Amino acid sequence: MMSHDEASELLAVAALHAVDAETLAAIEEHAATCPRCQSELDSYRAVAAALGNSVEELPEGLWTNISSQLWERTGDAAEMPSLVIGDTPAEVVSIGVATRSSRRLRKALSGVAFAAAALIVVLALSLLSAQNHVTNLQSALKLASRSAVQRAMATPGHQVVNLTSATGQRLAKFVMLPDGTGYLVKCAMPNLASNDTYQLWGIVKGSPVSIGVMGSSPGQVTFTLNSSPGPSELAVTVQKAGGSLTPAKKFVASGPVDVS
Amino acid sequence: MDDDIREVSDAQLVTMIARYNEVALAETYRRHGGAVFGLARRVLNGAAEAEDVTQEVFLRLWNQPERFDPSRGNLRSWLLTQSHARAVETIRSLTARRQREINDAHKAARGAYDMQHEAWDVVLAEDVKKALDELPPEERRAIELAYFEGYTYIKVAEILNEPEGTVKSRIRSGMRRMRATLVESGIEGADR
Repeated sequence: MMSHDEASELLAVAALHAVDAETLAAIEEHAATCPRCQSELDSYRAVAAALGNSVEELPEGLWTNISSQLWERTGDAAEMPSLVIGDTPAEVVSIGVATRSSRRLRKALSGVAFAAAALIVVLALSLLSAQNHVTNLQSALKLASRSAVQRAMATPGHQVVNLTSATGQRLAKFVMLPDGTGYLVKCAMPNLASNDTYQLWGIVKGSPVSIGVMGSSPGQVTFTLNSSPGPSELAVTVQKAGGSLTPAKKFVASGPVDVS
Repeated sequence: MDDDIREVSDAQLVTMIARYNEVALAETYRRHGGAVFGLARRVLNGAAEAEDVTQEVFLRLWNQPERFDPSRGNLRSWLLTQSHARAVETIRSLTARRQREINDAHKAARGAYDMQHEAWDVVLAEDVKKALDELPPEERRAIELAYFEGYTYIKVAEILNEPEGTVKSRIRSGMRRMRATLVESGIEGADR
């Protein structure tokens, strides 16, 4: 650890970020244990902030970009249980190589420390018939990125489905396209133990039909619904890892789908 | 509701953000986004990179609101520190440096965002300008190169052809003088 004298000498330059990252980390580490240095560093930072307090008009669309990413969560493919719905086991694909369509989005990912560690699991599931039972659910995994969600949100005719808890807490948000593709946009559901999983259901003609498992910590999820009629409601349950053909008695969250 | 949220303090906004309140983040962005963007743009000389930095700063606040400690300074200062750190990181990469050279001619005009805050920012800017103007030129130059150009003090020493220790001392001395001037002006946070 850096000594008090060494750190003390560097506090002013550290407040200007005029040291390399390693030195800055060492100074901050010392300051965290030294109230005098912490206070000194904070006061220099206040001076630096005053120096840089120059307000500019915000670019149009910037808030939209930010808000569209608020509820996205990086998935961890290593923890994602295998998808076993119907009789078609699914693959799990690491999409650490997923590319973004724009430099800005790439940088946003790296800046928020998402991209480096994130393996995104995408479930592409075909929904059975409307006869209320699970048959040969075709599942596939494909690469997706936040840009796909953003594109979906910008697609004419898209529908946003908010899933709330029994107490009204908003826990998940999906966007569904007219072609039956759906994306998990936001997720505030707590992480589960690794031997449990969230499972997504469509309520078709009053009966739950499995769409697929979402893992214990849902990341980016894509699914395709080929049912006719489509579901009148989406719901999430907690099941044992691997999923179930019948839902748990209690929905963790549910929300209506506009069937018109 | 819009009026209600505008009455909430910055510290309360962060508490609400910790509870996943998107409206609170939007209000924080409304209050401080222009400053976060302005600083990033000034350091980076590029609007696209500054947008990236602004995005990162607010997503970081959303994902890790506990990193802001109101006992150690105000939210604006904290956000500006984050913005500057990200901007410096960016500018120190070779690509950004090249982009910055390309963008050198594109310094843009500043925009207004909120009469009340703007008035305060003007006062603050005047105090800061006064504090900067009162510095000996060699201290001012060292601080400007470090803060606005994103150089390490070692690089600043190289540019100014001065020993590293001298530059380090000048920056420290200049920061102390500025702090004293700003404390005299009643700038929050400098008087710790």
